[in-house]
Amino acid sequence: MSKAAIPQVKKVKNNSKTWEILCSVRLAVIIIVIMAVSCVLGTVILQQKSPEEYAARYGAGLAKFFAAIQFTDIFHSYWFSFLLVLLCVNLGCCTVKRWRNKVLMIGFLVTHISIILILIGCVVDLLTGVKGGVNIYEGKSVDYYLTRPDYKKNPLGFQVFCDDFLIEKHPPKYKLIAYVKDKDKQKAVPAKVGKRNSVSGTNYAVTVKDFIEDAEIQQEPINVSDVPNNPALYIQLSEKGNVTAEGWLLAKDRNWYSDTQRDLKIDYVWADNAEKHEKLANAAGKSTKPKLDITIEGKNIVKSVPVEKGKKFSIDGTDFIIEIKNFALDYSKRLVPLSEQEPNNPAVMVEISGPQGKDSRWSFSKYPDYQDKAHQVIYKDVKLLCSVPENFSDAKHRVRIVQNKSGKKTISYIKNEEVISINDWELNKSYNVADSELEIRVIKYFPSHGLKKSVVKRVGGHEGHNHGPGEHAGNPAVLIEMEGPRGKVAEWVFAHTPPHWYPDNNFAVLYEKSGMEIKDYKSILRVVENGKTMVTKTIEVNNALKYKGFVFYQSSYDPEGERYTGLQVTKNPGLLVVYTGFIMLCIGIVFIFYVKPFLRRKLKKGKKIEEYYSEEEMLAEHIE
Amino acid sequence: MDFMLKLTLYVYCAAIVAYIVREVWRAKSMRWVAFGVLSSGFILNTILVLTRWSEAHHAPMSDKFESFVFFAWSIALVYLIFELVTIFIVKVHESRIGIIGALQCVLVAWMICSALQADSTIKELPPALQSNWLVTHVICYFLSYSALSMSFSAAIVYLIHRWIFSGKQKVAEVVESGIQLKKDYSFDKLAYIAVSIGFPFLTIGLITGSIWAKGAWGTYWGWDPKEIWSLISWLVYLTYMHLPLMLPKTNIKKSFRPILLSIILLIAFPIVLFTFMGLHKLPTSADSDHIYAE
Ligand code: HEM
Repeated sequence: MSKAAIPQVKKVKNNSKTWEILCSVRLAVIIIVIMAVSCVLGTVILQQKSPEEYAARYGAGLAKFFAAIQFTDIFHSYWFSFLLVLLCVNLGCCTVKRWRNKVLMIGFLVTHISIILILIGCVVDLLTGVKGGVNIYEGKSVDYYLTRPDYKKNPLGFQVFCDDFLIEKHPPKYKLIAYVKDKDKQKAVPAKVGKRNSVSGTNYAVTVKDFIEDAEIQQEPINVSDVPNNPALYIQLSEKGNVTAEGWLLAKDRNWYSDTQRDLKIDYVWADNAEKHEKLANAAGKSTKPKLDITIEGKNIVKSVPVEKGKKFSIDGTDFIIEIKNFALDYSKRLVPLSEQEPNNPAVMVEISGPQGKDSRWSFSKYPDYQDKAHQVIYKDVKLLCSVPENFSDAKHRVRIVQNKSGKKTISYIKNEEVISINDWELNKSYNVADSELEIRVIKYFPSHGLKKSVVKRVGGHEGHNHGPGEHAGNPAVLIEMEGPRGKVAEWVFAHTPPHWYPDNNFAVLYEKSGMEIKDYKSILRVVENGKTMVTKTIEVNNALKYKGFVFYQSSYDPEGERYTGLQVTKNPGLLVVYTGFIMLCIGIVFIFYVKPFLRRKLKKGKKIEEYYSEEEMLAEHIE
Repeated sequence: MDFMLKLTLYVYCAAIVAYIVREVWRAKSMRWVAFGVLSSGFILNTILVLTRWSEAHHAPMSDKFESFVFFAWSIALVYLIFELVTIFIVKVHESRIGIIGALQCVLVAWMICSALQADSTIKELPPALQSNWLVTHVICYFLSYSALSMSFSAAIVYLIHRWIFSGKQKVAEVVESGIQLKKDYSFDKLAYIAVSIGFPFLTIGLITGSIWAKGAWGTYWGWDPKEIWSLISWLVYLTYMHLPLMLPKTNIKKSFRPILLSIILLIAFPIVLFTFMGLHKLPTSADSDHIYAE
């Protein structure tokens, strides 16, 4: 009997010892400290990365060590889970052991139990919950989701349609960023007119002097000198007294205007002397025709022919017959009349007949090596090159304005390539374009023309340009004055342009968008089960759709358009437990720190401190 | 705004000086001067917060600039309340609490300084921040941080006192003139009170943050660096709260225990500050949703 009794006593003693340990604050403190340290490690060491990344970052040896002790995914490791279980056990045991049926103990009980609840809830979620995501294209549906982080497909048991996806945007806001290079200092300042913003620690400053919400650069021609270096005319074209067109013609730049509606082309040329003047004024009609060079490789045959639709040529020394089928000044507009095309991408279509049949192809003057895939190429040794003179025009009526240094100025009218009349012209006088109702008038003449750039408020005319109607947000510009060792400089700066440097190249200002542009994104979701629509809801961030335990959160969107919506899919069966824990923790902790002290004073009024505090409470609450 | 911010900074700097003078001089009138200077700084700070609120059309605590200004405001608020309580409720007049005031003012001035460096342009809130939880969550955290900063200052003062008086302690006990001395020593008690005010708010902040994350992202806890570090701060203060229960059962000397606790507070508050504004230094922060955009 006694033999049997001894081990029993021992066992009880042993039990009570583990029990003591499990109840102890010492264990609690140890667990808490270890958890804190692991948390630090979990943010200092990269988590959940590939083995290669670890090896690259920490070296092979250390990477292996980390993997072995699960430092690469601390928060999902076995030892961390064990720590949490131990924490739960410790909390449970100490709560059971220390519980006394007193009002003042409520806080202690509630907080400790709440933490156990939270942890239990988390475990339930981890074991039976769902954490995943899915993207749904607008107008499409899914009946699955992908789990995270391994992207496995799982069925939902019903269909979710994304009927619509919307992004709401804020009107953009802008800020200035001032940057001082040698100090590597950066300062962002609001782009408000009138404020001087100095960059502290440097002697640079920037002041916004003016602001245009929607600005554009206007280029206004001005006269720079009386020596005809870059002559320009401002001409006006009118029909029955109404101005139909007006604008600048620059002798050395854009020197022609073509009015396809009236089959008219006006050009402006400058002659250096009277002789050349004569020639230019008269030769206008014979505008050089485009020409086609045909080269037969290996045979040393080169032939040049004018491009005229329908013409056929035979090539001496070969069996080829070449026919020009079509000519377009602008390939992309080849179906509209030639006179309405501009010489953007001239091309000629040629048919080559030879011993192996017919080979037809487009030859582009700007891309001679390009092969049009739609047409077969049989005769690879036949190379075509079409060239179109700069001033080629197909217009029936032509007006040519010629000027020269000695002051002579003429206006020629040419019809069907024949010069009908040549007259001298004067400023501000109207000249009839013969046998039409058009009149032409030269309003201004600048011998040497330059451009003055100024930044002005944009007025109309851009709706639907590069964006849908109503979406135009403006292109803001600020007039900034930069101050520094070289004095003040003021200049207009447009948003979204490269940084603007101060003359010493050490100080720059950037004008750019500030903050988040996206105000909200929403998806209209529809849940369909067995062919029936069960729920429809517009979800957005902070407002999710719940169905059959699944919760669909708006979490992302297609960054390159608005084609799909990104949803987070979760199922948290333990959520109620966790939230109960949260609420209890709040109540408990408020009780301990804010209610208990007052309650105690009320309960134990008139008693000595030693009588109503236990020794431990005095320790815990620093009472002396 | 910039001018107001600078003015506030200067007033707070003046408050540092005022509190130090008050400590050295110990005249009753000086105490009110110091209190007045800090209060006027606080009023300026309040104006800053309110103008920002009306300009930005959202609660002014969403980016770095706004949080710095708001944090400064809440530190000043908590300290002023604390001082009023000591004067009118606890009725302690001749304590050395002013030194805490000076330290708190240093922290406030530092925050305003940081705000001056930060990008002060008004930014639109990203969708996730457009939630009422933001306000609750952030206010809880800033109140908590402010109270905890006081525990930090108190711990510093306590340790310095212990260090200065380490030789004289016995003498003081013998002479029994230690009433004043004892009050000064009770900075560890003060630190405890500050933690007991700040810790519940820290807990509630953690919980509201978690509920908010659930609403916005679908997970109440995602092991995000910001979440982890707020958990770390919480765990450290939890240790501080439980340690006094454990220490008697160890063989650590009784006189050393408050020193140990103060040292923990000394470690804890920098962790809090790191959680607040240092997280972008972490290698794991690249994937985080929480860190203020630079
Ligand atoms: C917000 C969280 C917590 C609060 C507010 C809190 C509060 C308290 C309080 C007030 C006591 C003293 C009870 C008394 O008056 O006798 C206590 C004791 C204790 N706490 Fe906590 N606690 C919390 C979390 C934890 C956690 C996470 C642990 C971890 C394991 C823990 C472990 C313990 C232990 C073991 C004791 C018993 C001390 C003893 O037996 O002497 N507590 N706690």
